[in-house]
Amino acid sequence: MLKYDVIVVGAGGAGMMAALYASKDKNLRVACLSKIFPTRSHTGAAQGGINAAMGYRDATDSPEKHFRDTVKGSDFLADQDAVEFFTANMPAIISELDYYGVPFSRDPNGRIAQRPFGGASSPRTCYSADKTGHVILHALYEQCLKNNVEFLDEWFLLSLVVADETFHGLVAMNIKTGEIHPFLAKAVVIATGGFGRIYWNRTTNAINMTGDGTAACFNAGIPLKDPEFVQFHPTGLASTGILLSEACRGEGGYLINREGERFMKRYAPEKMELAPRDLVSRSIEMEIKAGRGFGQGLEAYVLMDLRHLGKEKIMERLPQVRELAMDFEGVDLIDEPVPIRPSCHYMMGGIHVSDYTTLATPVEGIHAAGECACVSIHGANRLGGNSVADVVLFGKYAGIGARESARKRPFGLETLVIKEAKKWESKFATMRNKTSGIRLVDIRNKMAEVMWNYVGIFRHEQEMRVALETIDQLLNDYEHAYIGDPALRYNTAFVHYVEIGNLLTLAKAVVLGAINRKESRGSHARADYPQRDDENFLKHTLIYKRGDRYELKYLPVKITKYPPEERKY
Amino acid sequence: MENITFRIRRYDGTNTWVQEYRLPYEKGKTILWALTKIKDEIDPTLNFTSACRHAICGSCGVKVNGHAFLACKTSLDKLLETFDTSVLYFEPLGNYDVVRDLVVDWKPKMEKMKKIKPWLLPSREGSIEEGFRQSKQQFAKISSSTDCILCGICASECGQLAINDGGYLEPFIINKAYRFAVDSRDNAPEEHIRPVLENELWKCIHCMQCVSKCPKEIPLTDEIAYLRKETMKMGEVHNQGARHAYAFYHDVKKWGRLNEMTLPIKTDGMVTTLRKRIPFAYRMIVKGKINPLRLPKAVKGIKGVRKIYQQVEEESKS
Repeated sequence: MLKYDVIVVGAGGAGMMAALYASKDKNLRVACLSKIFPTRSHTGAAQGGINAAMGYRDATDSPEKHFRDTVKGSDFLADQDAVEFFTANMPAIISELDYYGVPFSRDPNGRIAQRPFGGASSPRTCYSADKTGHVILHALYEQCLKNNVEFLDEWFLLSLVVADETFHGLVAMNIKTGEIHPFLAKAVVIATGGFGRIYWNRTTNAINMTGDGTAACFNAGIPLKDPEFVQFHPTGLASTGILLSEACRGEGGYLINREGERFMKRYAPEKMELAPRDLVSRSIEMEIKAGRGFGQGLEAYVLMDLRHLGKEKIMERLPQVRELAMDFEGVDLIDEPVPIRPSCHYMMGGIHVSDYTTLATPVEGIHAAGECACVSIHGANRLGGNSVADVVLFGKYAGIGARESARKRPFGLETLVIKEAKKWESKFATMRNKTSGIRLVDIRNKMAEVMWNYVGIFRHEQEMRVALETIDQLLNDYEHAYIGDPALRYNTAFVHYVEIGNLLTLAKAVVLGAINRKESRGSHARADYPQRDDENFLKHTLIYKRGDRYELKYLPVKITKYPPEERKY
Repeated sequence: MENITFRIRRYDGTNTWVQEYRLPYEKGKTILWALTKIKDEIDPTLNFTSACRHAICGSCGVKVNGHAFLACKTSLDKLLETFDTSVLYFEPLGNYDVVRDLVVDWKPKMEKMKKIKPWLLPSREGSIEEGFRQSKQQFAKISSSTDCILCGICASECGQLAINDGGYLEPFIINKAYRFAVDSRDNAPEEHIRPVLENELWKCIHCMQCVSKCPKEIPLTDEIAYLRKETMKMGEVHNQGARHAYAFYHDVKKWGRLNEMTLPIKTDGMVTTLRKRIPFAYRMIVKGKINPLRLPKAVKGIKGVRKIYQQVEEESKS
């Protein structure tokens, strides 16, 4: 029987920070389990930077200002006590990362450089060129190696074992061998990232962002908080969803439709392409819905035209963007416009965390941090530069919280985890032996299509009802799915099968949360309820899963300092 | 061209075979697109790894027609044009243990990486509470080496790893050692450099494959040259590699050319040379490669050569 005091699931910024902090107690046996090799984690894709009010570039900046900006950006749905804790502790985290060897870009005084970002009233985003997440991820991996954290690379979490609201352990598969193992643990940190893949290709997320930890918590009885809040980025590359930086519009790029028209004049005549992200995203979708886009259905797109900037300016200011467009869309921006479409970017909602200082969930011993968790500091809309900050800071406190849990909790019951592992073994055997049924890829594609069309940037009750029915049908189809690979060893078809199950489970929660939030707030834009409604909806959604039944509850938002006001920029 | 043929080396843990798939040609697609399409639509048993899809996570290194590429950012059009064929042969990265199909095992590489202490050994000038001061110039020194995404392409292409019995370090491990050795915040560069020296640093054969194939254009051979120089400054001048370098240095300074006769003696010492090199030297003489009877004479432009030496020495002093 595999036994650890603390198991961290996920090896991105949050997971490795948690593993690092848990492992600071040398009496504890700590493992970090990840379905991929640690440095492949999606934290590495974060480019822009990490917010902390260091005041290096603007001496008037302060954690208080960062606090206010974040609350306002969240459309007042964030819990203000948590946001205050977050912004107050961020400067210390940046110094700590510096001490771990993160290669930050520097200012002329040798201090960490900072730059302005959307929604921030001072330039407070620390960065390392355009590879901030990448270098932080690698530095944390190095620190974990130094601290002798035990890595279980390419191990896949199948489920958490919770009985009578008590955490006992978990079940995971060693992907390389195909063996399924029960684990006993005193505490676990779930840090498995977001689940933007409910939209499959229409996301900036990595291929494996399937919310495995979030689904495992949800299935184990921990509620999801605010799953309906999904952030979209206006300029994803059309065929892959890969992010194309906002710098394109910043440098003067045009958005044009099939008729060659700069359509932003219809939606934001003054700001044009420099209108806020949510507005630009909605405008692009309106053009496509009106039949003025190129292509059909999920493949539809508009164009971003940079040709008028000229070769010299493109080469000087946007060389990497040009490279991305060439590599991934086969287009040279100097000669041709590039097809783009909004792309799902970030999940504001996630595992309900009930204590922001320990990242504890309602089930003792289970902690959660990073995009998979909802603390909540992002509320209805996350500010750029706050996500990498979120992962390292709350990863740290989750590690400390789990360490404390492990010190006071005994090991759970072997029989329970063994029983759960047996269940998965037989499921794996069944799926390997199955030779016919519904193709997994078809289920996945149908899910993505219905989520994008009906629970995407625009939402309307009638359409979301259709989406809900379709997801229910797909959950039913899923029971009849087959994977087409009988092998034991490195069976990614089976891994994908479990991932799609997780996505379907979570997609249903997104739809339910969205249908029941009859207002527009932050990223959640309801065509049938265009106004924010504080009277009825200044509250967090909580969705519980009891067997196959989903139950909705609500939780008040913690407001300490900033009473809600109309959000204007 | 209507179709592209993909011949993929398969492996299931026991057996190896080659399987052929065909996809209709589409303009502007990548290697990863093809692999994904094959898995989704033709054969779900095919295995490979990928994650971010935009060249930052390093998951999808793979060999096509004998050369390693990052699958997500390499266009099929480019490959078809370069190799002038519609048949592409896929294999897992070289110099790795294969798990299944195109999936390789990273675990042993990371165990090996620990040798060079791949973490910052912080100097006393900084603290966990305050961090460090580092100038823009000092940051610039670590900027390119910290671009490394651990995709393993350099290791797959490395000429020395291909023939080595396991002692030589993967180029990305050497890069990691360099990265900390030149970081102004690190207190003990020698602790990163010495293990590289002890693991056959001088065996790099300058094939330049790591540099030319690196998707992040990291100048790995320049880093190796730097590390070698540093080991000599550390007083490590009596090993084979350093002696070989000195022999080059002195020969060229003295005559403007190498003395093939004395080079092995200077590199390996008289005893080893007599013991191991005599038959080799004999073969060289027979083939006319060296002439033991010719006494070296300085080349015509030797003054110019020595001027270059002088200039370099002055520059490295300033």
